[in-house]
This record gives sequence, C-alpha cells and structure tokens, in this order.
Amino acid sequence: MTATRMLARDWRGGELGVLVMALVLAVGVVSGISAFTTRLQSALVQESHRFLAADYVVSSGRALPQEWLPEAETRGLQQAQVLLFPSMVYVGEDTMSLASIKAVNDDYPLRGALTYSTKPFGDVLPTRSGPARGEVWLDSRLFPLLHVAVGDRITIGEADFVVAAAARTEPDQGSSFWSFGPRVLMHYDDIPATGVVQPGSRVEYRQLYAGPKPALEEFTRWLEPQLQEGQSAVDVNEGQPGIGSALDRAESFLLLAGSLAVVLAGVAVALAARRFSERHHDYVAIMKSLGATSGAVNRLYGSSLLLLGGAATVLGCLLGWALQAAFFLLFADQLPVQPGSSGIRPYAIGATTALTCLLCFAWPPLRRLGQASPLRVLRRDVPLENRRAIGDYVLGLLAVTLLMWWYSQDWQLTLAVLAGLAVTAGLGFCLALTLLRGGRLVGMSAGSIWRLALAGLQRRGVANALQVVIFAMAIMMLLILLLVRTSLIDEWQAQLPADAPNHFMVNIGPEDVGAIEQLLRAEAIPSEAFYPMVRGRIMSVNGENLPATDVVQEDRRQRESNFTWSDTLPVDNQLVAGKWWAPGTDEALVSLEEEFAQRLKIEVGDTIGFLVGAQPLEARVASIRKLQWQSMRPNFFLILPPRLLASYPATFMTSFHLAAADKEFLNRFIRTFPTVTVIEMDIVMEQIRTIINQVSAAINLVLVVILAAGALVLVAGVQASVDARMHESAILRALGAQRRLILGGLLIEFATLGLFAGLLATVAAELSVYILQSKVMDMNYAPTPWIWPVGILSGALLIGGLGVFSCRKVVSTSPVTVLREL
Amino acid sequence: MAGTELEILKGITLEIKSGESVAIIGASGSGKSTLLGLLAGLDEATAGVVTINGTDLGALDEDGRARFRGRYIGFVFQSFQLLPALTALENVMLPLELQGQSKAAEQAEHYLRRVELGARMGHYPLQLSGGEQQRVALARAFASKPAILFADEPTGNLDTRTGEHIIDLLFELNREEGTTLVLVTHDQALAERCQRRLRLDSGALVTE
Repeated sequence: MTATRMLARDWRGGELGVLVMALVLAVGVVSGISAFTTRLQSALVQESHRFLAADYVVSSGRALPQEWLPEAETRGLQQAQVLLFPSMVYVGEDTMSLASIKAVNDDYPLRGALTYSTKPFGDVLPTRSGPARGEVWLDSRLFPLLHVAVGDRITIGEADFVVAAAARTEPDQGSSFWSFGPRVLMHYDDIPATGVVQPGSRVEYRQLYAGPKPALEEFTRWLEPQLQEGQSAVDVNEGQPGIGSALDRAESFLLLAGSLAVVLAGVAVALAARRFSERHHDYVAIMKSLGATSGAVNRLYGSSLLLLGGAATVLGCLLGWALQAAFFLLFADQLPVQPGSSGIRPYAIGATTALTCLLCFAWPPLRRLGQASPLRVLRRDVPLENRRAIGDYVLGLLAVTLLMWWYSQDWQLTLAVLAGLAVTAGLGFCLALTLLRGGRLVGMSAGSIWRLALAGLQRRGVANALQVVIFAMAIMMLLILLLVRTSLIDEWQAQLPADAPNHFMVNIGPEDVGAIEQLLRAEAIPSEAFYPMVRGRIMSVNGENLPATDVVQEDRRQRESNFTWSDTLPVDNQLVAGKWWAPGTDEALVSLEEEFAQRLKIEVGDTIGFLVGAQPLEARVASIRKLQWQSMRPNFFLILPPRLLASYPATFMTSFHLAAADKEFLNRFIRTFPTVTVIEMDIVMEQIRTIINQVSAAINLVLVVILAAGALVLVAGVQASVDARMHESAILRALGAQRRLILGGLLIEFATLGLFAGLLATVAAELSVYILQSKVMDMNYAPTPWIWPVGILSGALLIGGLGVFSCRKVVSTSPVTVLREL
Repeated sequence: MAGTELEILKGITLEIKSGESVAIIGASGSGKSTLLGLLAGLDEATAGVVTINGTDLGALDEDGRARFRGRYIGFVFQSFQLLPALTALENVMLPLELQGQSKAAEQAEHYLRRVELGARMGHYPLQLSGGEQQRVALARAFASKPAILFADEPTGNLDTRTGEHIIDLLFELNREEGTTLVLVTHDQALAERCQRRLRLDSGALVTE
C-alpha cells in the first residue's frame, strides 16, 4: 500500500485534517508575520533615512570642500547641497519679516519628499524637488504676514523672486524646530544673486549623500578622516522616526503572536498525531499480522508524514504570502516609502517550523506504531508502548523554545511565554487533578447527570488533568494576545486622542497672553496652559566648566535650552528621583528631564551653572522627571521655581487643537499677532495616526489567525478524548439512558474541564502579560479584572460546546453503529 | 501485575503435520488464544520452542517473525480485522502488496470471486454484512497462499446459518489449496469437521 493511498483513505478520520490545518496555519502565520516584519523593517529604515532627506549628511558653518561631491559621484552616490540662513524677506519698502531661508538644489531631497500646497494652509501635495530658479515657496504663515498671494513678488537681499507655492513640510525639518522664523525655500543657485551670504554670516552648509550601502560605507571611510573642526557628519542611526516606538511594539506583538502560533501549532500537531497513531494501532497490528515489518510500517507512515508536511508547507507558504500581502494592502497608501522585498528567509523559517513540528511532535507517536504488537489482533487490550512519551515532550519543548527564539530573536519574549506555559503545565496539572477529585465528592450527593459527569471526570483523572492543561495553554495564549493587543491599541489611542493638540504657538509676549487666551476661548479652540519660556545656556556642573563647542559630538557639553517655571509638577510628568519643591520656594532649585540628565551625567544634588541672557545663575538639581514626548503638550527639559526666574525676560508658549476645516483661523491669527510663531504638527500627526490605525488593523488580522490556531488546539484536544467518551455514552444509551442525560453529562464533563482550563489560563495569562509588558514591551502593566470572567466563562462554554458537538453522533446514531465504528 | 507471574500454558507438546486440520477447543480463559498467538508467531513464549517448517520462531525477532508470517501464515479472526479505510479488494490485496507481489489485484479479484463477492469488491467493510466481511477475510487469508492458516473463532461473531456457510467455504478452500489448518473454537460442531481435536483445560492440553 502506498503512502498516498493511505492518506487519501484516512482523510475521513478527521485527525489528519487537524494535523494538516495545524501545519498550514503554523507555516502561514510564521512566514507571513516574518515576511511582514522584514518588509516593514526595510520600510522603517528607509523612513529613518527620510528624516535626514539622505543617507549621510555633512554640515558646517563654513563652506564645505566642493571636491567631495565629484568624489561621491565616482563612487555611485547621489549628492545634494543645502544652505540654511536667517534673513529678512521684503515686500516693497515697509512690509518685512524675518525668515529661515533654506536653499536647495534640484536633487534635494535624496530621501523622502517635499510637500507644498497651491495656497497657504491648502491641500498638501508631495513633490520630488524644490522651487525652480527665480521662484520661492513660502511658509503658509508668511502669506498673511507679508500680505502676498501665490504669483506675487518678494525680495531677499538684492534679488526678487516669484512666490510659486506654499512650503508645507520637508523631510529633514525636524531638528530646527523652534530656532528660526518661518521657512522660505529657494533654489541653491540663486544664493549669489541675493548677496546676503557673506563670510562670517550665520549660515549652515550641508552636503547630502545617498546610495547603496557598500558604496556609502566606503565613501564615509574615505571622508571621515578629512573632517575638520566645525564639520560634522550625521548618519541615519542618529535620526529616529516619530512612529518608531509604536511600530517597534507592533513588531514585538507580531513576533509574540508568531511564537505563540508555533507553540499552538506544535500542540495541535502533537495531539492530532497522537490520536492518529492511536486510531491506527489496530491497522498496524493487522498489517503486522499479515507480514509487515516495523521498517515497512515506519516507511509507510514516515512517507505519509513527509507527503503531508510537504503539501502543508506549500499551502502554508502560500497562506503566509497572502497574509503579508494583505497587511501591505492595508498599509500601501500610508507608508511613506515602498517596502522592500522580504526575500526567502521568512518562508525558510516557515518550512523549518513545519519540519520541526513534524519531527518533534508528529513523528514520535507515529514512530511507535512500528513497535505495535501484532498480538493486538487477538487481544484488544495490548497497549501501545508509551514509555518514551516524556522524552518526546522534552524534545518538543526544546524544539519549540529554539524555534521561538530563532523566530523572535528575543530571549525575554521567549522566556516570558515559556514561564506562562510552565506555570500552566506544572501547577495546572496538580491543581486540575486535585479539583477533579474534589468534584467527585461534591457530585456524590448531586443528581444523576452530575454523578455521571463527575464520575467520568474522575475515572480519567490523569488524562483529564492533561487535557485541562492543554486547553489552558491554548486559552492562555489567546488571552495573552488579547490583553497585549488591547492595551497596545488603547495606549496608542490614548497618546493620540482625536482632539490632541496639533499646533504649537511659541514666542508669545507676556502682554499678548491674555488676549490670545481670550481669542482661543472665543473661537472655541481647545488649548493647553500657557507656559513661560526662558532661553538659557548650561555652562557648568558642580563648578566644572563644560566644553564650549557645539560641533564636538559629545553629550557632555554646553547646551542652549528652554527653561520654564512652575510650582507644580506638569501633568504627564513623572518623578523618577528626588522631590518636587514646595510651592513658592525661594531656593535655587531645578528639575531635569531624565535623558537630558543622563546625557550630561547629572544627578540629584548636583549644582548646575546657567547663563540666562548675560546673567549667571546657579541652581541645585532637586528632581529628575520622565516625560511623555508623544503627548504633544509643551514639554521642557528644565523646570525652575517661579521666583527664581521671575526677573528674567520670558516669552510664553502653548499648544492647541485646530481641525483641518478651521485652518483659515491661522491667517487671521497671524495678522493679529505677527510676532507669535505658529508651528503646524497636524500633517505629521495625521500621518502617525493613519499608520497606527493600519498597524492596529494588521494586529487584529493576526489575532484572528491565531484564534484559528487556538481553536484547532481545542478541537484536537476534544477529539483526543472523544473516542473513549463516545464508547461509554453508547453503552449508556444501549442501557436506555435518555438523550438529555447523555448530552447533559457530556456538557457538564467538558464544561467542567473548560472551567478549570479557563481559570488556569487566566492566572497564567496575567503572569505572562505582566512579564511581557513590564520587561519586554516597555509598557505599563495594569491588572485587567474583566479578563477573569471572560477567561473562565469562555473556557467553560467553548470546551463544553465543542465537546458536545464532537460527541453529538452518539445520540443520533444507534449505539451498535457507534460501538462498531470505534 | 508486579511480583506475580502468571503461567497460562503448562507443558504443552504438540506436533501438527503439513496438510492436517486441527481444532483447539476449550472454555473461555483456558488459554486458547494465547496458544494460537504463540503458534502463529504473534507472541513470544517466555519458555519453550515453536518450530514451523524447521524454523524456530523464538530465534527470530519481531521483524523476522513478521516476514515469516507474511510468507507462510494466514489468519481468520473472530472480529474479521479488516481495515475499515480499505475496500474489500484493497483488504485482500494488502498481504500481497506487503510481499511485493506484482499481480496483487488480479489474485485478489480471483479469491473474492471465489468467495462469491465479485460484485462487492469496491465496498468498504462497514457497507458489508458480518458474513460478507468474514468472506473477505477468508479471501485475504487464502490469497497469499499460506502454508498454515490460523483461524480464531471464525464463526464467533456470526449467526448459525451464516457461520455454517463460512465454515463450508473455509474447508472447501482449505482442500483446494492444501493448507494446514489450525482452528481455535468452542463450537463443537465446527471442531468435529477437523481431523484432530485438542482440548485446552486450564492451560494443559488434552487430546480428545
């Protein structure tokens, strides 16, 4: 008999279906998620390049050597030049504004895209290059300030330009956030005509490079030794995209999901294979009585398994490909760059998973079939040799651990899941056994359905305890995913609520604060409080002067920064060291942001020397705070007590939410308060929000697939015990038991198992989620009370329903048929 | 059970000649099945020797005995022992395929027609009556042309009429093929049709 024929005939048995489905799901989920994250990572790397508008940037306050550009050209790199400088922009004789000018050549940007709009605050459009010669793009807020429209002329230095568009975003605008006035984009080759850039002017020259990684590395190796004082180089590792942390966690989640899929699939495969082997025990005994050797039996089942595995791997890879394609279909429009190809690795991981599952979970029980005794044809009670089963489980556990680690490349994640599994397995088995025994005592005095059900539970005590553990593991993994997913998405949405501030207002004179507050209220625009802002420079720590230069790439140096004053700890800020000062204090104290303090190696109790304007100031570090940078509220590195800063000149800042339809307000506002700078964050935030929504959708998609894997384990687990229960029920039925008694008994039996499993799963899930969130995913753990009723009840209902459904045949067919088929 | 050794068969010396038909009779639990298992090489004796055609079964390992069974031994069981996933034809072909015979299908068809099941070759065991299933088992047993046929209560699961028909077929085929027949039963009528009858009583053998 050939393997193909045997497989075709056995398909009806059901457990082959579970085995193949489990393998297909394992391969599909593992390869799909792996392909998805690989491609997402490549997109993220490109995204971080976008934030530089290049792969590599050299900048300096003086002109950079021009011979570097042709050198890069010969190495196959693209190059672009950028010049940044502040200058006055005029319209006629008396309308003028200070602007931050950015001159770019035709190749800028090398990575990412510029955006513009055809009228101020209008619809945002992407483009690959900046203004043509003789043209400028103005920041939207310059239009009302200068009283110009698109097509009008403006003057910079000695040259006139046509206003061609409103400049909206640049890929590399992030770093010069507050520093200068509104942006004017112009062509690099128009600089000489303006005559404003002279030796000694305050300017920043940049050379941008991009190209294939090896060529770029070779170039930077050539270039870096030539860098002189005042010239600095930046590569992508220093620029972090804003959505990075959200996507990092999404990736952790997906890897976790994939790892759990491996475990679930492994368990489902093991259960299905075990049942398959039990059901084939008689076949093998007959074949052996007819002269089949153990080698022949092993060859038959081995080749069947290989055939199944091969087919399941191909199907699984197709499923995986379809999954990641579906993810990117969801994403395609939102990703700023096209994701690269995933390569063959994800599918290799998928195939290896299938092979490992087959080898470690499916083969051991099938291999034992070869040792089945032919004597079973005469005596049904000859058991299958199962002594080595423990060894198989150890092997399987080891294989799963290695797979999970290979797959997630994360020991903490792997161990967190294993810890949950170990708790479920170890504690669960003992607990289940004890509870099931206790159940019997209660049942003795209960009605006959209960007595029947509880007697059944106790009779198969060890087998039932094992089954509880398996159900619990499956439910636990589903709960973990559900919990992590829910808190992940909640946290994201909490970070970016629909009415989060999306505009900053800085440079507000103290005399304007009241009027602006009134205006915002009148227009019903929600805003944060107004924070005072004093600009100062950190000069020394504990009396030791810090290095002065800004160019040296060193963390511990003099820094220009914005201070604020406050008597209360701002909302969202969290003290990590020291104490907050008493309101109204006269002491010279300061509170620092955590990472800022780390960079300068400052601790609580240190004394910092500042220079505010021309006046020196000393303060002792009273506390260190943690901030939520994503909150879009004004955040400050340094906070001092109000009395200490009262005598220094301050401006104010705030942030507020403006709906897209109300953007016209900005035109009016800027005309009324020309000195106030408004910074638009809404475009970037909308982008982040969309990406997060897509990631959430992807996560939900994965959750559904994993739910299917979990359901398979439950089905395989129920199937494993169906034969024995069917047999007993058929006998009871032959003895005249009513349909209601039998189904009721089965329901109670399975639901009780499910109840214990749900309880165990909930405990273990909480433990794992605690480890995962606090140690692996860098999230705040909060206990979730709702998971208890959900976990326990869903366990009872699911298992109870599945069990009765699997055994339904026992009441719909004659007992003789049932007994004959078993 | 740990610590207790159970002696099921005691000092049995038995010789069966080629072509002979022998019935082993006895009450339930007298050790009939155990003896059959040993004689057919399905089981290993803790002490003693079983020799068939000059081959000491005890000297062979399980795989060796499997090959030996395939070549020399046929079985008919009380519970038929057909593979439910295989059709009648495939069940009969199974031992022939296991021996690597090339004309397995032809030979199987021939024997199925011989047991009057030519019209039901494509049926699965569950679609056949008990008597029909036992006829498939007979076809399977004789198709591999065994030197010895072991039958374990071949009529035990059948009604009297069907049982008689099966027995007629069994003896006809046995005559045609010249097979040695060893039959275990507690059916006295069936035992009467054998050339020799042996009674097992509490593990000891008594010739009737």
